[in-house]
Amino acid sequence: MESLLDQTWQNLTLFGNPTVVIRQTLSGISHGMLLFLISAGLSLIFGVTRILNFAHGGLFMLGAYIAMSVIGLTLAGLPGFILSLIAGAALLLLVGGGLEVLLLRRIYRSAHEFQLLMTFGLVFVIGDLVMIIWDREERSVAAPELLSGATRLIGVTFPTYRLFLILVGIAMAIALWVLLHRTRFGIWIRAATLDREMLGALGVNTRRLYTGVFALGAALAGFGGALAAPVLAVGPGLHVEVIIDAFVVVVIGGMGSIPGALVGSLLVGLVNAFGILAFPSLAVVLTFALMAVVLIVRPWGLFGRPE
Amino acid sequence: MSRTTLGLWSVAALLFLVAPLGLGAFWQFIAIEALVFALYAMSFNLLLGYGGMLSFGHAAYFGLGAYGVGILMAKLSAPFWLALLAAPVVAAVGAAAVGYFSVRLTGIYFAMLTFAFQMLFFTVALKATVLTGGDDGIVGLTRPGVLVDPAVYYLFVLFITALAIGLLYRMVNSPFGQTLRAIRENARRVQHLGVHTRAHCWLTFVIAGAFAGLAGGLFALSTGSVFPGWLDWTASATPIVMVVLGGLRVFTGPIAGAFVFIGLETVISGHTEYWPLFMGVIIIALVLLLPGGILGTRSGRVGH
Repeated sequence: MESLLDQTWQNLTLFGNPTVVIRQTLSGISHGMLLFLISAGLSLIFGVTRILNFAHGGLFMLGAYIAMSVIGLTLAGLPGFILSLIAGAALLLLVGGGLEVLLLRRIYRSAHEFQLLMTFGLVFVIGDLVMIIWDREERSVAAPELLSGATRLIGVTFPTYRLFLILVGIAMAIALWVLLHRTRFGIWIRAATLDREMLGALGVNTRRLYTGVFALGAALAGFGGALAAPVLAVGPGLHVEVIIDAFVVVVIGGMGSIPGALVGSLLVGLVNAFGILAFPSLAVVLTFALMAVVLIVRPWGLFGRPE
Repeated sequence: MSRTTLGLWSVAALLFLVAPLGLGAFWQFIAIEALVFALYAMSFNLLLGYGGMLSFGHAAYFGLGAYGVGILMAKLSAPFWLALLAAPVVAAVGAAAVGYFSVRLTGIYFAMLTFAFQMLFFTVALKATVLTGGDDGIVGLTRPGVLVDPAVYYLFVLFITALAIGLLYRMVNSPFGQTLRAIRENARRVQHLGVHTRAHCWLTFVIAGAFAGLAGGLFALSTGSVFPGWLDWTASATPIVMVVLGGLRVFTGPIAGAFVFIGLETVISGHTEYWPLFMGVIIIALVLLLPGGILGTRSGRVGH
């Protein structure tokens, strides 16, 4: 017990070291941006369809595997990488649309337990199908040369690809903001999050809107998976890991809120990065404790609205 | 109870009593598993079917019961009986703590908070290696005397399960259970009638947790081991699947659901490594085609 306290104290002294603090901050933001790419779609889908999509991690995993195959089939360099991102997003757009039309559309009016079971069943189907199409090997994907290696920034060296993730995350946040606030589709999405029935009554084809939102959410997951492939071990069980993280983020930020997903992602990313510094073995516990506290104090999340 | 139902119950009781004894040790083990999960699913249905509370963290209490037994026996060398008695108590204490906060919420938020707490328990089980053995779990739990024989242990589990299910039956048909059902249908109205609905739901949550803990303890003593996967989030879907499969508006539904589920799992995973794929397809088909469950009807309600 005493040695544990000593250890924790020693770990805490690391917080006084500016290099360590800057590196952990960057690493937290980078991890947070990755979480944002997964959770933005999850949050969008919940906001509009009120379905908690447990299979979202599976869609992310599919994106990562597709990217891996595209990079394996084409030339590795930058063109192959860009192509892998496009393929991940495009194929998942189709998969998402297909899933909505075939399955999810039928359960919008069902009780929570049926909706939960449906997406839960999909988790296993997607997980196993990926094992059948590819195999059970755990693989790594190489980042293009331009983005690999390390960069020196404000006094620390940091992996270039992780800095690139931060930039993409920021770009994605801006793109989503523009989509939601400056396009008709985005305005419909926000309106549906507020009041679905009213939107339908005003003459919007909500059926098509739901398909579109689900496809968009899936495409975001696919893009995120493709983008994350170089920093993850692409293998079985990936989908189960990422959905839990995304879930925590969305609950903390508020289901259905994109700003919430962004803030939640950064919060979880930073809590993880600094939690690992202070209590290496308990960092995961911290994020779940954070989730529980938010639910107890503000069940609808930091940026959500009470129902 | 009519003469036919009484007859049916007697036949079922006789089958449960005798059938597994003629089977080999493997199927006796599976029969024990099915009984344990029947109890586990029933405890869950108290929440979902009767109380309308969708807990997505019920595996936490199954796991608490199992770890209670495991830690008491393996780390503190407690005797079998004490450990088994402790299983529901440990789970009830955990459920009391979680329930205190969770019953303030309803619907999907209730599901998410119970889920968050379950993940807390899961990560603690994974990380508190000194007590729980971490990823490797706890192994080497033994049963005393004649209970070592799987056939005898089967009868023992059957006795306890029957007793527990009998208690649950009495409970759901008591004024307590009637009130619980009324809360499910219209909580505000019951509240205006002067019932402390939150306390009622809390108590239900604790009782359901205790029965899940008993199931977990019995299962740990069947396999002789405890693993963190038992309280992982995928494990929390198991009772939901069983209850929906059997019919959540029928008292005996969860028993049927548990037996069919364990049976399918045993047979299918004996033939292919892709049991999860089959399970996923079965779940999706169930939701789309048979929402009332095997024993249920679409519009049927418990106790109507």
